[in-house]
Amino acid sequence: MNKSVKEKLESTFKDIQVSILEDSRIAVTVENHGVLVILRFLKDKGFDHLALLSAVDWIEEKEFELCFILTCYMQNDDEYTDSQRLHIILKTRISREEPNLETITGIFPNAEPYEREIHELFGIKFEGHPRLTPLLLERNYEIPPFRKDFDTRKYVKDVFDKIPFVEDKDK
Amino acid sequence: MDRNQITKWFKAPAKMANKYSLHVIYFCTGCGIIEVPPVITSRWDAERFGVIPVATPRQANLFLITGYVSVKTLRAIIRTYEQMPEPKYTVGFGSCPINGGMYWDSYNTIKHLDKYIPIDGWIAGCMPRPEAIFIAVTHLWTLIDKEMANGYVKYRENYEYYRKNQEKVLGKLEWPPLFPVSDEPRGNVQ
Repeated sequence: MNKSVKEKLESTFKDIQVSILEDSRIAVTVENHGVLVILRFLKDKGFDHLALLSAVDWIEEKEFELCFILTCYMQNDDEYTDSQRLHIILKTRISREEPNLETITGIFPNAEPYEREIHELFGIKFEGHPRLTPLLLERNYEIPPFRKDFDTRKYVKDVFDKIPFVEDKDK
Repeated sequence: MDRNQITKWFKAPAKMANKYSLHVIYFCTGCGIIEVPPVITSRWDAERFGVIPVATPRQANLFLITGYVSVKTLRAIIRTYEQMPEPKYTVGFGSCPINGGMYWDSYNTIKHLDKYIPIDGWIAGCMPRPEAIFIAVTHLWTLIDKEMANGYVKYRENYEYYRKNQEKVLGKLEWPPLFPVSDEPRGNVQ
């Protein structure tokens, strides 16, 4: 079954690489401007569940990699059974200097908290997102804390260790 | 009732009543809360020690902080602690509130909880056994007897310092001070 999905993808789009990782896993690598088209295509094909949206910081290549993990329930389709459930990992890279990407909340509304989280922890801006407000963190960080160049030990030393104990107030 | 304690009951009945009916508000942060359901239910029945969970901080006089404290949780912890009526006691459960534990280099976990609110006792371990809660409770009884569990008195006296530390982490606090504070902290001026 994954062969047929692979053939469909390769025959429809030009600049993509499709590789079969396991029996039920397909990795698709695309340029970042083609993400929306391919997601729309896959959703129409039945992959209507966005399981995860995550980011990876490739600091040496100066790029962020975004992974969209799609899967399908396909309850209405007799062709697929539960054991054949297919996962598609859609990967795209954006530059580290200008981390912008168009939002996918128009296609998958449940991507909204994922995009807020990634915006907060990696500093990637999703254009057209309805509210990119803080989600998890309380403090303002100069560098978003999940980037590889964020030095957590230095941060702890500068912020948390500088706060005095109340017992030491007279010193 | 223990006959040896009968003089204590006559001397300070309110204190003894407080001591033997610790109403606990559990702060369900981190992983430590997984030890609390067996403690309050029939396996290690905590009510043998007078320890009983309550619904709101306004009914509680023991505050058990289980597990690591993120910056966002600290805001809720302070608000909960300030709502509790006096006398109130706090116990940090697990190694994370003591000094950060395994989150010692985390960007969003506070390391020493006693910089922000006073703590009367610690239970070390990762995780402590449920029995450790009872050891802590019996230690707390001793401390209350000797008037050493005076964290809430310390909080009242050093409120400016505690609030300054809280503001250093959380930024501006949106609730008014619990006790009156002057603009210049006392004692700091030589």
